[in-house]
Amino acid sequence: MDEYINTKMTANPLIVLREEFDDWAILFNPDTGDTYALNPLGVFIWKRLDGTQTVSEITEAIRTSAENVPDEVGKEVEDFLRDIVRLGLASGEKPSS
Amino acid sequence: MTLPLMKTPRSVDIEITNGCNLRCTYCSHFTSPGDVGKDLPLDEWRRFFAELKRAAVMNVTLSGGEPFYRKDLRDIIASIVENRMRFSILTNGTLIDPEIASFLAATGRCDSVQVSIDGATQATHDSFRGKGNFVRALNGIRTLQQFDVPVAVRVTIHRKNVHELDQIAHLLLEEMGLSSFSTNAASYMGLSRINVAETQLTVAERSLAMETLVRLAEEYPNRISATAGPLAEATTWAEMKEASREGRPPTQGGGFLTGCGGPFQNIAVRADGAYVPCSQLGQMVLGRINQDDLCDIWQNHKVLWEFRNRRLIPLSSFDFCKGCPYINYCTGNCPALAYNLTGEVNHPSPDACLRLFEQQGGRLPPAERLRDL
Repeated sequence: MDEYINTKMTANPLIVLREEFDDWAILFNPDTGDTYALNPLGVFIWKRLDGTQTVSEITEAIRTSAENVPDEVGKEVEDFLRDIVRLGLASGEKPSS
Repeated sequence: MTLPLMKTPRSVDIEITNGCNLRCTYCSHFTSPGDVGKDLPLDEWRRFFAELKRAAVMNVTLSGGEPFYRKDLRDIIASIVENRMRFSILTNGTLIDPEIASFLAATGRCDSVQVSIDGATQATHDSFRGKGNFVRALNGIRTLQQFDVPVAVRVTIHRKNVHELDQIAHLLLEEMGLSSFSTNAASYMGLSRINVAETQLTVAERSLAMETLVRLAEEYPNRISATAGPLAEATTWAEMKEASREGRPPTQGGGFLTGCGGPFQNIAVRADGAYVPCSQLGQMVLGRINQDDLCDIWQNHKVLWEFRNRRLIPLSSFDFCKGCPYINYCTGNCPALAYNLTGEVNHPSPDACLRLFEQQGGRLPPAERLRDL
């Protein structure tokens, strides 16, 4: 787990972030036509998947950007990132040992 | 009251060319306001597709005229793909050859190519589309199938094919092996306005089409669909009759001009690059591509908002609807058809009026047959 929080995440450049109502959005894969709904927290995270920020840094950014962030936000961020990596929407570069 | 709106349109309908190799008797394009007489060059479309990418538009639908009539269609599609979008094409099917079908398949981005087939025989199809075009269109479908390009078929019902619907279903679903097809009817638009007597169903023929299509939909479950025309009317109107008889509360959107959700999802562009709310409302020019900002037009254009806000207009405000027992379940249907028939966009479409249909002697299939469709 400690290794994962130091992983730098990159969004798949083919995937389209489509912001629709309020702060909600969908991710669109034009090669498959698949779409995935993103809540405002997912959008916040997605916009930081530029290959320079680690999972830990993204989690910290959430803590400093919002009020009343629950303690378990770190796990939620990790679960979200694992999901989008599994779906091919993003990839992670593990730190060199 | 402000209606919620997405930041940009999800999809864009583009009349990519004004040209066509055919002149079908009921074509909605020719003699319509979309019949603009000139096409934009490729570079203009490339610039526009780059803007659509920035706006995160997901899909474009190419129509015309006839899209395959454009010699540079491959370059146009390549630019759509390059800008991270998918596409669909509406076509008469007669210009599809293995080379273009192979190209479409290779893009991996084609949602569907919709080919129009209006008869089970050459005589019927060609009566409105011109000699030899039945065979060409069927060959076009077979070529698309050969290359695994998703094919959709649309059957436009008119006076010459309304007695041939069984044979058309057999041809498409049995002989051609299509998974499904959709139907509509020749509407009072474009050339069909000039050729009303030939093209548009009488009330008796409309009733026959409903009865036949409902039976065919039972015989071929989930394989015949419609968002307009006799099959859609049969199901919608039967629900309205039942709701009225039982005195149910108004349906969602019922009693207001809510029949068209298009302007909340899509925008359209004419072949000359003019933005319009819908391809069938080519007279409502909102601006020009590559001159006017898409997002600004989408979010702020006064005419587009007026068009969206027609949803707030109650049907009870129209003399046309006074005393109608179905008013609480009616949505006024297509604004383009309303415009062509009455001269007003903000009016219910008389063509979609159940009360009028019944007053003219129209018959609906029994409601119990429609519940499972």
